[in-house]
Amino acid sequence: MPVILQKAWLFLPELSYLGMALALFFISLARRPDTARTQRWALAMALVAVAAAAVAAGGEGLLFWGAYRVDLFSQVFKLILTVATALVFMICRDLSGVEDRYHPEFFMFLSTCTLGMMLMVSSVELMSLYLALELSSFSLYILVPLRAGDDIDVEAAVKYLFIGITASCVMLFGMSYLFGATHSLYLRDIVAELPLLIHQPAAVVGMLLLLSGFFFKLAVFPFHFWAPDVYQGAANQVAAYIATASKAAAVALLIRITGLTGGTNIYLTDVLIVFCVVSMCLGNLVAIVQKGIKRMLAYSTIAHAGYVLMGVLTMTAGGYAGSIFYSLAYMIMNYAAFMVVVVVAAGGRNLNISDLAGLHRRSPLLALTLMIALFSLAGIPPTAGFTAKFLVFAAAMQQGYFWLVLVGMINATVSLYYYLMVIKAAYLDEPANPQEPITLSLPMRLLNYGLILAMVYLGLWPQHFLAVCDQAVRRVLGGGA
Amino acid sequence: MNSLLVYLFLSLFLFCIGMFGLLQRRSLIAMLISVELMLNAASLNFMAFNRFLAPDPAVGQIVVLFIMGIAAAEAAIALSIILALFRKIHSINIEQARELKG
Repeated sequence: MPVILQKAWLFLPELSYLGMALALFFISLARRPDTARTQRWALAMALVAVAAAAVAAGGEGLLFWGAYRVDLFSQVFKLILTVATALVFMICRDLSGVEDRYHPEFFMFLSTCTLGMMLMVSSVELMSLYLALELSSFSLYILVPLRAGDDIDVEAAVKYLFIGITASCVMLFGMSYLFGATHSLYLRDIVAELPLLIHQPAAVVGMLLLLSGFFFKLAVFPFHFWAPDVYQGAANQVAAYIATASKAAAVALLIRITGLTGGTNIYLTDVLIVFCVVSMCLGNLVAIVQKGIKRMLAYSTIAHAGYVLMGVLTMTAGGYAGSIFYSLAYMIMNYAAFMVVVVVAAGGRNLNISDLAGLHRRSPLLALTLMIALFSLAGIPPTAGFTAKFLVFAAAMQQGYFWLVLVGMINATVSLYYYLMVIKAAYLDEPANPQEPITLSLPMRLLNYGLILAMVYLGLWPQHFLAVCDQAVRRVLGGGA
Repeated sequence: MNSLLVYLFLSLFLFCIGMFGLLQRRSLIAMLISVELMLNAASLNFMAFNRFLAPDPAVGQIVVLFIMGIAAAEAAIALSIILALFRKIHSINIEQARELKG
């Protein structure tokens, strides 16, 4: 095979998303775009991209003068990202939450955002990392204010934008210190230099500031303010996308960057522990009082970011593998919860928890999916969420972080309360005025069954995927970034 | 005090002014200007390290060119969202936008 074809094969998932974004751009130029047809096309192309990511999953190599590394680690995350985007496209049939004339742009920006994240998980050079991060962030800044109707969308967008660009400035400033300390932007040079420099303040400060860009994406404590407002203000589908795909990419980068230090710096670990504890406690405690289901899910996102961070801060192979597993489990269970919200919220409005009353009668299947998704988020066996929490807690325990695990356990118990409140609304509460049943189309029913199956399967038989995570982590830690 | 330190302190100062302005100002345009100050602080850092320390003096300059491009794109998106907000609430003061509780 000629070299160019070989490299194109490595780059196949990104190329398919690039083609998809271009095609959607031309569709958006049409005078009278047809939403149903655009959605079908976008979904078909997204499924092709999933296939492309699966085909390229075994690839390994360096592209673009060593700035771009394709390995098992990046390919696992690309697969998660493409699947998440395809899943989000599936619930875009009823796009009444987004203004009519922006429907093709909506799909286009979702695909450029996914493209940015796919580039992000593969970049091993700080400048390309920054550019990829900005590509995905800029797409999201535009997606938030596309919502139809009330004014809160633009306000949420302003908040998101300013917190986002502040985080990216801080990140760039940190990058400049790392560049000063190591004289290089390539992660492979930095990983060689950093263990010698790790006790210098410039390197530690640079590292922490650099991580803040990903803390923003993950909605970890110092950069978490945007999450509830953006989830509330953005269209339901956009909120679902932000809550699933963009988290996975952030976890990937946290692992790649903290993996550079080799776990030798206690200051870095201490700061991460503080962020982890504050995120867990704050997210769970504030989630209790929320009335809107999207705001509740937003605060639960902040708490889950804390749990993921617990796996990352152990800086061991086990903890990293647990975090990758967590991000996949989290993507599936959070998507399932958001899918129910999107389907129940006819017309794309915001749902309150009380609006779910009587859901088990309106649609037993949706109520079941919601229940399993929330049990999984709370971490009750035998669901994916339980296994994921178990893995990160066990990794933290092995490193001797007993108190951290204890705080995590208490938080998991607290979180059970507000998840159960939602399940109570769906199963036990009677609606004030009777509402008509929700009929699901065949693809939607299949999607529901698939999600339930995936959540239970990952909970009972995690070993297959866990083995892949383990392999992937070894590439990052062993392969010199 | 060598000249690298002068540049580093200057850029740290710029960064702090930017951060202070971002937290202090209530006008969205002023906040955007503060963000640009922070970006310029990072650029200055890159140039200073590049001039005094880096083995390959091209790297920092290229980074700064990219930062300029990103800053332009960022300003375009920020201004368009600010304009959209202005159309809805007829103000660019962040205090006027109080629908969301935060």
